Amino acid sequence: MMSEPIVSLRNVTKRIGRKTIIDNVSFDVPKGEIFGFLGPNGAGKTTTIRMMVGLMSITSGTITIQGKNVAKEFEQAIRHVGGIVENPEMYKFLSGYHNLVHYARMVPGVTTERIREVVELVKLEDRIHDKVKKYSLGMRQRLGVAQALLHRPSLLILDEPTNGLDPAGIRELRDYLRQLTREEGITVIVSSHLLSEMELMCDRVAIMMSGKIVDVKPTRELIGSHDQAASYLIEASPAERAFAAAVEFAGASAVKAVPEGVEVTADRDQVPDILAHLMRTDVRIYGVTPMRQSLEDRFLEITGGERVG
Amino acid sequence: MVNLILNENMKLYRRWRTWVMVALMIGAVLLGSFVEWYYDDKDAPPDAWRTEIAEEKEHFNKLLADPGMDEETITYAKDQLAIGEYMLANDIRPESGTMWDGINGSATLVILITLFTVIVAGDSLAGEFSTGTIKLLLIRPASRSKILVSKYISMIMFGLLLLVVLFVVSVLFNGVLYQFKDIGLPLVTTDAAGNAVEKSMVANLWLTYLLNGVSTILFVTMAFMISAAFRSSAMAIGFSIFALFAGTLLTELIQAYSWAKYVLFANLDLSMYLVGRPYQEGMTLVFSILVLAAYFVVFNLVSWLVFTRRDVAA
Ligand SMILES: Nc1ncnc2c1ncn2[C@@H]1O[C@H](COP(=O)(O)OP(=O)(O)O)[C@@H](O)[C@H]1O
Ligand SMILES: [Mg+2]
Repeated sequence: MMSEPIVSLRNVTKRIGRKTIIDNVSFDVPKGEIFGFLGPNGAGKTTTIRMMVGLMSITSGTITIQGKNVAKEFEQAIRHVGGIVENPEMYKFLSGYHNLVHYARMVPGVTTERIREVVELVKLEDRIHDKVKKYSLGMRQRLGVAQALLHRPSLLILDEPTNGLDPAGIRELRDYLRQLTREEGITVIVSSHLLSEMELMCDRVAIMMSGKIVDVKPTRELIGSHDQAASYLIEASPAERAFAAAVEFAGASAVKAVPEGVEVTADRDQVPDILAHLMRTDVRIYGVTPMRQSLEDRFLEITGGERVG
Repeated sequence: MVNLILNENMKLYRRWRTWVMVALMIGAVLLGSFVEWYYDDKDAPPDAWRTEIAEEKEHFNKLLADPGMDEETITYAKDQLAIGEYMLANDIRPESGTMWDGINGSATLVILITLFTVIVAGDSLAGEFSTGTIKLLLIRPASRSKILVSKYISMIMFGLLLLVVLFVVSVLFNGVLYQFKDIGLPLVTTDAAGNAVEKSMVANLWLTYLLNGVSTILFVTMAFMISAAFRSSAMAIGFSIFALFAGTLLTELIQAYSWAKYVLFANLDLSMYLVGRPYQEGMTLVFSILVLAAYFVVFNLVSWLVFTRRDVAA
C-alpha cells in the first residue's frame, strides 16, 4: 500500500439468521484510488457497502474509515464519507434545493455557497427549485451525486452508480470521478455488475462472488494480455506431441494443454514460427484461434462461467 | 440537534398533507361553534338564566326530598344547588348561551389532534423506510438516537401547534359570534367540601386540554413505536386509530376483571378523578399516572431499541 489506507476491512463477516452473506472479507483502499467492487447480482456488494456506512451491523471483523472504527466511532468515521446506496432516493415532495439544505444541516460547516457550488457542478442550476418528483432519473442521479459531495467527503461510496444512466451519462460520471480523484484527492469506491464499466473506470478491482472476495488486482493486471501477449488456441493432434513441441519452442510457462490441443501465449509475430515448429514434429494442425483475454473473460474464468449483466 | 429538528419540521410543513390537517382542524372548530351558536335561543331575555336556575333548584330539592336516593346523587344535587345559589347571589350566568359554551365544546376536538398527530407519527419513520430516504438520512454524522429524538420532538411540536390553533380559532370565532360578551365569565364549581368557588374559565379550558393531551401523547408514542418496529405506515396508523376508537369499548368489556386496571385505555381518562368516580374501585390519580408513565417509558424504549439496533435493509 502506498500510504495509510482510507478504508480498511479486516475479516468482515455478515450473517443474517443462519445465512453467511459476507464471508471473511478483507481489503484496503489507499487515498486517491478508484476502487471497483465487481460481482454478479446477489454477490454481496450492497451488503458490504451497507456495513461500511453503518446501515447494517457487522457480525464480526472491523471496518475503519480514516482510522475510525465504523461500528464504535460512527459519527467520526462517517463524517468524511459521501455516498449513494443503491438508488439515490430523495424527498420527492421537497425541491432539489431543500433536499440539499436538509443534508447540509446534518454536517457542520456546509454553507449556502457550497450548496450553490455542488448544484453547479452537477449542472442542476435551472431545475434545482423544482420538486424532486418532477425530476428525470438522470437528474435524480445527479442530485444524488450532489448530496454525496456536499460536505467535501474524502471518501465517496457509490453503489451501482451507473444504473439507469445512458452511455453518455456513464462517460460523464467516469470523467467526473477521475477529475475528483486527480484534483481533490478523493478516494472512490464504486460497485457494479457491469464489467466493461469497471474496466474503464477503476484503478483496482475486487471481484466478489457469493460473499467472498475472489481476487483483488489492478485493472491493468486483470486484463493482462489485452494487447501485447495474447494467447492462441491451436487445434492439433496428437495432443501430447503438440504439447511437447510447443513447450520446446515457447517454454513451459507459456503453454497449456487443452482438450482441443494446446493453448500458447505468444506474440503475434511468433505464431507462424510456432506452427512451423509443430509441423516439423509431425503434428497435424486443424486450426488456430486467437484468444484475447478481457476483464470479462478473466471474470468468467474466476467465477466459473457465471453469466452476469 | 436543533438542525435535526429543523429538518424534521421542514419535511413536515413543506407537505400538503400537513396543511390539509391544519385546515380540517380549523374547519371542524368553525363548524362546531357555528352550529352551537345557530341553535342558541337568541330571543331569550338577558336574565332568562335566572328562571332556569330557579327551575333546576326546584328539581334538585325534589330529588333531595326523596328518601330512596343514593349517596352519589345526593352529593351531586347538593353541589348543583350550591352552584346555583352562588350564581344568583353574585350575578354570574351559566356558560350556556355565551361564547364559552362553544369554546369549551371545541375542547372535545382534541381527539382530532390525536388523530392527525398519530398519522404524522405513524408515517414519520416508516415513511422514510418505504421511500428509501432513510438510507441517505442515516449515513450522516448524526446518531440514530438523535434522529429518533428529533422526529419525536417535531411530532409533539405539531400536536402543540394544532392545540394552539384549536384554542386561538375557537376563542376568536366564538368571540366574534357573541361579540366577545361574557369574555370574563368565571366558572363556578364546588370544592371538596361542597362550597361553591369561582375559577378562571381559561385555566379550566387548558386543564381540559392537558387531560385530553395525556391520551394524545400516549397514542402518538404508540404509533411512533409501531412505526419504528414494523416500518409500515399503514400498520402504525391503522392500529393506533383502531385502538383510539376501540379502546373505550374494550375497557368496558373487561371492567369486571381486576387486571383491567393495568390496561392502558383504562387509565387514559384522568378526568375521571376530577368528576365522577374511577374506572375500578381503589384506583387513584397517582396509580393512573404511574401506569401511564410505565407505558410511556416502555413505548419509547422499544422505539429506541429497534430503531438504533436493527439493520437498514430496505
Ligand atoms: N436482509 C437480508 N436478509 C437475508 N438475506 C439478505 C438480506 N439482504 C441481502 N440478502 C442476501 O445477501 C446476498 C447479497 O445481497 P446484496 O448485497 O444485495 O448483493 P449485490 O449488491 O452484490 O447484488 C443476496 O443473496 C441476498 O439475497
Ligand atoms: Mg446491489
